[in-house]
Amino acid sequence: MTRLSRVLLAIASVLLLGAFLFPLWRIDLVAPQYPEGLGMLIRVNTVTGIQPNDLANINGLNHYIGMKPIEPDTIPELRIMPWILAGLAAFGLLVAALGARRLLYGWLGGFVTLAIAGLIDFWRWEYDYGHNLDFEHAIIKVPGMTYQPPLIGTKQLLNFTASSWPALGAACLGVAFVLGVAALVIARRRGADVKRASMAMAVAVAACAPPGPQAIADKGKSCDYCRMTISDERFGGQLITRKGKVYAFDAIECLASYYLQNGGAGDGSSIWVADFANPGHWVEAKNALFVRNEAHQSPMGLNLVALSDDGETAAAGQVQGTTLRWQEVLALVQSEHGARWDHAEADSVAR
Amino acid sequence: MSPLQLNRRVVVGAVGAVAIAGLVFACQATRSKPINLAAGDAASRVYIAPGQYDEFYSFLSGGFSGQVAVYGIPSGRLLKVIPVFSQNPENGYGYNDESKEMLQTTFGSIPWDDSHHPELSQTDGVPDGRWLFINANNTPRVARIDLTRFETDEILQIPNAAGGHASPFTTPNTKYIVSATRFSVPIGAKRDVPIASYKENFKGTLSFITADQPGKMDIAFQILMPGYNYDLGHAGKGPSEGWFFFTSYNSEGAYTKLEVNASQNDKDYVAAVNYKKAEECVASGKAKTMQADYDHNYTDPKSRIATTEKKTSVKLLDPRDCEGVVYYLPTPKSPHGVDVDPTGEYIVAGGKLATVIPVHSFTKLAKAIEAKQFDSTIDGIPVLKYDAILAGEVQKPGLGPLHTEFDGKGNAYTSMFISSEVVKWKLGTWEVLDRMPVYYSVGHIMIPGGDSKKPWGKYLVAMNKITKDRYLPTGPEMAQSAQLIDISGDKMKMLLDFPTIGEPHYAQALPATLIKDKSVKFHSLAENTNPHAVRAESETNISRTGKTVHVEMVAIRSHFAPDNIEGVQVGDTVKFHVTNVEQDWDILHGFAVLGANTSELILQPGETRTLTWVPKDEGIYPFYCTDFCSALHQEMQGYIRVSPAGSNVPLAANISPKAKAQMAGAK
Repeated sequence: MTRLSRVLLAIASVLLLGAFLFPLWRIDLVAPQYPEGLGMLIRVNTVTGIQPNDLANINGLNHYIGMKPIEPDTIPELRIMPWILAGLAAFGLLVAALGARRLLYGWLGGFVTLAIAGLIDFWRWEYDYGHNLDFEHAIIKVPGMTYQPPLIGTKQLLNFTASSWPALGAACLGVAFVLGVAALVIARRRGADVKRASMAMAVAVAACAPPGPQAIADKGKSCDYCRMTISDERFGGQLITRKGKVYAFDAIECLASYYLQNGGAGDGSSIWVADFANPGHWVEAKNALFVRNEAHQSPMGLNLVALSDDGETAAAGQVQGTTLRWQEVLALVQSEHGARWDHAEADSVAR
Repeated sequence: MSPLQLNRRVVVGAVGAVAIAGLVFACQATRSKPINLAAGDAASRVYIAPGQYDEFYSFLSGGFSGQVAVYGIPSGRLLKVIPVFSQNPENGYGYNDESKEMLQTTFGSIPWDDSHHPELSQTDGVPDGRWLFINANNTPRVARIDLTRFETDEILQIPNAAGGHASPFTTPNTKYIVSATRFSVPIGAKRDVPIASYKENFKGTLSFITADQPGKMDIAFQILMPGYNYDLGHAGKGPSEGWFFFTSYNSEGAYTKLEVNASQNDKDYVAAVNYKKAEECVASGKAKTMQADYDHNYTDPKSRIATTEKKTSVKLLDPRDCEGVVYYLPTPKSPHGVDVDPTGEYIVAGGKLATVIPVHSFTKLAKAIEAKQFDSTIDGIPVLKYDAILAGEVQKPGLGPLHTEFDGKGNAYTSMFISSEVVKWKLGTWEVLDRMPVYYSVGHIMIPGGDSKKPWGKYLVAMNKITKDRYLPTGPEMAQSAQLIDISGDKMKMLLDFPTIGEPHYAQALPATLIKDKSVKFHSLAENTNPHAVRAESETNISRTGKTVHVEMVAIRSHFAPDNIEGVQVGDTVKFHVTNVEQDWDILHGFAVLGANTSELILQPGETRTLTWVPKDEGIYPFYCTDFCSALHQEMQGYIRVSPAGSNVPLAANISPKAKAQMAGAK
């Protein structure tokens, strides 16, 4: 596991403790004579009213339909759940400390299992309260009527409209899970540097984050222009549309050709090229310095590589040859291959 | 021409005006769109859609009902009647054991009074929505109403006084409220005197009451005054802060047929009291401590039990011992209201028999005092020269000016009792700007904040003394009538009539936003310190002490616990201590038992109340919930069995295990 993924997992573990601070679930009850509403908050270790007396008032009303009173002390899960959650948090911290990726799988698996079990258990309690009514003492009996509130959503129960939704505590758990998955994704990616990983995290945690470049040499991905499998990312490029769709290319020539054929990249999109000197690092094409040197045998024969233009790489003499800018690369590709530049032809020539 | 004839003419003229107005509006109605606001759109101006709130709370005195009525403005909807000085069987105020001490006086318990002038507490001269004060005129008292609960929490009796009319007007930060005698009487040790010795023996008093702390209302000092009738008052503000102004009439000293004998002098007096000076004199020991018995009643907000504190002395300050504490301002003629404009410069007096409205200037008053421009001195009180203090007179305002309120835009509005109209005039130029006939014979008028530093000058409420044909007839006795007038424009516009309880004298109003969010929804059961409170059915109890049986009961939807009681005997006194254990908004219960010689109980959520019942004959008596609390309200009932004296039926109640254990122990 990388340092970043361990940090993410540690954060996720601490976030689990948010469930001790905030309610997991919220059930709101609104009726004609309760315009201000009554409600319950399901917490990790108890059930409380939204207003101080709501639970007592809900129980008071429920005695009419024969529902047994909701008494947090009689629900054993509320005594167990804090320990389970604390245990999961502690386990997560342990995995982060050890940095063992295999254990991370265990952590995530346990998380999913407990979450599903918790929801099923919650539903069963709702079912129990809603169905196991004391008909002998119930004052209001409506044949066929049961009073199980929904797990998620809204339902009419006699004069009350019951709405049940996850609350902030559950949101903490959700974010913790996403971070855990992100930690795993990052841990699985060898050689990922901090910047790349933080890009990935940004994508994972907040879907609204601007799209950034991804690794393209994984899992036999093929070039979106020439269809060749991308085996060496160092010559590659990618085009990311406004909506986040990624077009991957095995060579800068392919990227440029795709660009030329499509008359540009489209609004809001970004074009990235691999930093040849700095594997796994991507540079926006408009900021990159391109070098043409026969020493670099790029897949498509124009011997083009890209470098991050921080002024050091070229100055250090790491790469020698003709330097170009992105517009010059486009012009070169246009003149070398023309509008009819056909990769299949080049492919056959190469073979 | 008698006032009555004139009144009729005015009415006929006004009816004609309304008829013409009706035609105008009929014409307007044919237009596709009204161009400007007119009384033609009055319905929409006062219409508050179902579920919507009024812009203002208004508090109208109940007059001879002894209470306060709360109306929403502009709709005129009655929101609540707050019991203050009269027993209220509707909710048990003054009947149940907990609240009856509120009506205690040195004369014993008094079930009624005549409430006159509501007064909102102020901060820096502006109503702040903390409390409402109101006076009792018959047996002089002042009351504090808490505006988070709309309940009377405190009543202070005023000794050395009769007719607590000029009351309970407040100083700008509610350090004091006041009470002055309308009926001068002999005070002190020698009170059995011939009525004809009025001029010699009868005195007035001006009481300054500390009011800024709940539960601590007390008389800071009283000022001994000549035996006139002190009628109304208002505090100075801004430059005149530190002064208080009271009108008086009957400077003639009449004690019989006052309608003639007290209307002889061209001018009576406004008393200007420098209460800062009075404080100094009291602090330096110039006031005499005098024996005086009076009661102070206070309801503890936690136990909600009223208790009476017996007070035995007051500090009485004679102006002869404190130079510069009071001055008399000559004012025509039998003045009634005295009102200070928002800037604090103008002091407007409504001489009910005067042909002008005189306005005194505080600046001139201060100069006249400095220059000692005095006409005479009465009992140590210098009388200032009228011309030296007069700012101006409103000429031909109408007949019978009584009360003036202000809109904060440089205008004043004065009620005219005899000519039955509200007259708008301009401060400074004293010109009459507009007139609005009102039906009939207006007394007080009220603009929200209209006697404060910052009036909310949008509406004016006229409180009329005569109703006659304004509503469907209800026999010889009918509700009194208020009228709502739009004063937001140059011309007044009549918007609405609405009937009122009792006889509203003065009123106060303020924006609803200053109160509504502070309104209490229920009392915390955990904080209920009533010694007979029970918080759960398991705590209910029944016990006997001699011939008194205590039943500590619970009321909760939809039953009482216990609901079967046996072992009570003829000759016993039964105390039903009922606690409403609901902790939910607007879930009230009631309690009544057959044959009880008292009112029901109404129990607010979390509250304990006690009904005392003395059964006179054996039998089974039902009790039940009187406030429709829930779907099974009709089932919320119980029985109590009364056996003959000496019966061996054991004291027993169902449900409560604790009670059963106690009974087992008793055997």
